Amino acid sequence: MTESLATIGTRPLPEETHSCWSCGSMRAAHFCESCGKVQPPQPVDYFAFFGLPPKLNLDVATLEKDFYELSRRLHPDLNARGGSRVQEWSLEQSSMLNDAYRTLRDPIKRTEYLLHLEGMELEEQSKSATEQARATGEVKKQIVPPDLLEEVFELNMQLEELRTQKKMGEDDPALIEEIGKQKLALEEKHEALLDELKAGWKAWDALIDRGSAANAVERAQITGQMVDVLNRRNYIRNLVRDVNEALES
Amino acid sequence: MSYSDKVIDHYNHPRNVGSMDKNSTDVGTGLVGAPECGDVMKLQIKVNPATNVIEDAKFKTFGCGSAIASSSLATEWVKGKTIDEALAIKNTEIVKELSLPPVKIHCSVLAEDAIRAAIGDWKKKQDSAKPAAVEAK
Repeated sequence: MTESLATIGTRPLPEETHSCWSCGSMRAAHFCESCGKVQPPQPVDYFAFFGLPPKLNLDVATLEKDFYELSRRLHPDLNARGGSRVQEWSLEQSSMLNDAYRTLRDPIKRTEYLLHLEGMELEEQSKSATEQARATGEVKKQIVPPDLLEEVFELNMQLEELRTQKKMGEDDPALIEEIGKQKLALEEKHEALLDELKAGWKAWDALIDRGSAANAVERAQITGQMVDVLNRRNYIRNLVRDVNEALES
Repeated sequence: MSYSDKVIDHYNHPRNVGSMDKNSTDVGTGLVGAPECGDVMKLQIKVNPATNVIEDAKFKTFGCGSAIASSSLATEWVKGKTIDEALAIKNTEIVKELSLPPVKIHCSVLAEDAIRAAIGDWKKKQDSAKPAAVEAK
């Protein structure tokens, strides 16, 4: 089937349309396998953009290699003489490539992106949980465990004291030492949570490998666990940042 | 982003900052946190056991201006209310009163959570105190 050149690219390509706009043969994801021309971008997720399954353990070296290869071939300069549509597509594809690469190469961003694809929003979740608590009268389960909250609160009290002292030009070595100790403990927790997150990646990848991706209950359980770990980890990261600021100021 | 006048007022003159004895049976303590911004909020209520009216409320919040204003307002609102009335407070009412922008809605959610957590803590204390009170008679 040949597409009219006037309409192609102005509407999204259906999934099954895999023919090249230029020569009509089978096209690959980004280029025609036959004539090599840049193809219109398709609305796919970042994993699919790189031809990857939606798994969380991925080989960053291979990803980087693919990125540079695609980056070179999609580069607007290389496609400058292909006409305005090809130029536009290469620009769009390049921009999507950059976003996809930046997201996937960072393990935390990659995880957050997958959770987003799965419909889990870190912040939304806590809001809907509050609404549920209001409607049912049940106690909302806090994302951050109580003992961590106690710790965070106490540390903030000490930081406040430290800031006040600094403002007055005073110096309390014992307080600084105590805060330093707590900071170390938090950094250890931060590391430990990364291990916990990696366990989540393993469980998720196993689910994808088994091909039982349609199992909504299991899916939600694993992603929910990862949301929980990420929330706690973000909390600790922000706190460590506050501690550093207070100590350096 | 700029804060509304009401947020700035609560931030500069926070109402009811402080703490109460968390071990007292009349006091309920709610400690909640928002991981996305690192905020932590403590809200305490003192309840009259005969009337279930919240007679006093205190808070201490580490966080942005909106988080401080939300919890400051929450203590103002719960004072003089019964437990059931306080449980009816919605985060959207805090958003409206303080004109919080969408990115700060989670601060109001946190304040509602803090009220609920404080009341939950108080209720738990009442439940566990009941058998002892009967024995004392």
